[in-house]
Amino acid sequence: MSTRIKEIEGRICELLASYLESSNHPELETHGEITGDTNLASDFTLDSFQIMEFMMDIEESFDVMIDVNSLSNSHTVSDLAQIVFNSLEGVTD
Amino acid sequence: MALLDKFAAADALKSQLEAGGHDPTQVVMDRIISPTEGIVEGRQTILAGTNNYLGMTFDPACIEAGKHAIETQGTGTTGSRMANGSFAAHAALERDLADFFQVPYGLVFSTGYAANLGTLTALLKPGDAVLLDADAHASLYDGCQMSGADIFRFRHNDTGSLEKRLQRLGERARDCLIVTEGLYSVMGDCAPLVDIVALKNRYGALLLVDEAHSLGVYGDRGCGVAEAQGVMQDVDFFVGTFSKSLGAMGGFCVSHHPELNLVRYVSRPFIFTASSSPSIIASTRESLRQLQARPELRETLWRNARNLYRGFQSNGFEVGPEISPVVAVRLGKKEVALPFWNRLLENGVYTNLMIPPASPDQHSYIRCSVSAAHSEKQVERIIEIFCQVKEQI
Repeated sequence: MSTRIKEIEGRICELLASYLESSNHPELETHGEITGDTNLASDFTLDSFQIMEFMMDIEESFDVMIDVNSLSNSHTVSDLAQIVFNSLEGVTD
Repeated sequence: MALLDKFAAADALKSQLEAGGHDPTQVVMDRIISPTEGIVEGRQTILAGTNNYLGMTFDPACIEAGKHAIETQGTGTTGSRMANGSFAAHAALERDLADFFQVPYGLVFSTGYAANLGTLTALLKPGDAVLLDADAHASLYDGCQMSGADIFRFRHNDTGSLEKRLQRLGERARDCLIVTEGLYSVMGDCAPLVDIVALKNRYGALLLVDEAHSLGVYGDRGCGVAEAQGVMQDVDFFVGTFSKSLGAMGGFCVSHHPELNLVRYVSRPFIFTASSSPSIIASTRESLRQLQARPELRETLWRNARNLYRGFQSNGFEVGPEISPVVAVRLGKKEVALPFWNRLLENGVYTNLMIPPASPDQHSYIRCSVSAAHSEKQVERIIEIFCQVKEQI
């Protein structure tokens, strides 16, 4: 994995921790470290609304736009990092 | 995973909803007495969640128009307009709607959902960009997704968030479609259309406004929020439904763009759906006439809306951001909201339960929709029962 994607992944981990904290998410304390393999839906049981809300935070933090269509199966931090990387680099699917 | 295993999640949700006593998604009205009253489980129940804003479902002139259409044109059209031909009344309703919105072109669909699907899939194609309010109705999301266009959401009613996305689109902003609603159906808040129109004009985008919940409710003539905010001429496409203020079923799109007439050639949800039955078209046309001829209905509706909103507020309920015929009461956790909704029903008030992820944030809400047909006593009774249930929960 490129250093750039690794950096993006690290920032998304921080953003996720901060999102979970601000929303008083019940699984924040019981869950271990957030990594690239962390799955938003299965590890933190974020519902579709919360995932979309978190996407907005990512968009604002990286100053990118994420196509809603690209999110359907992209629920790990690592998947999201790839999407943000693609958006920053102007890569299309 | 076997094909049918996917229903396990729905089954778990069903059990959760039923645990409160009644499943909020499966309430059966044994009998409808009036636009605002029905019989549920043998109890006389005030209907405070049916979007019957003007009470048109029992309007004598609308009923008569529907009866006459059945007697003279039959019960149905037995197919799509493209295959079976249009009845004269379909075309007449399209003209009525275009005249009402003061634009040249109108198109009628068989449901409000189909209107959004049919319009958006015709307007957008893969490679186009659409900017969609985050709280937009599912039919708008589905229409955008079905079109294959790139979908970018902006924060609900946040023109700063919208402008950022228009900037990020660069050259593509000139060809993008902004999609918003007039009145939002869960919290009862209106879109800041004046500011959205200013952005649309600055960046050269097109604007579609869904007036499903605002038709007949906002504006001096009842056209909706764009009329109330004085920006009708800047809206490229209006979509809406016949199933709320007009008391029937169906949907429409009207526009000043002549291309709307070509939508009927390319829109699959239009082409492949059976057209509305004569009685629906006739009662909708009459309802549209009534809406224009009886502005007092809107006055009564707003009086009732103010009374309900302020009544909740003065009794310590947390309500939505502005007075409108949609009044949402915030109840926090679904563990509180579900029994609250059940007790309301058992005490004779039918409302709508909104729990995450169907609610616009992490909170649960009880949503009421007010009607011009509600009496002052009914509004008082709704407030009274809310207060009683609050004491019990």
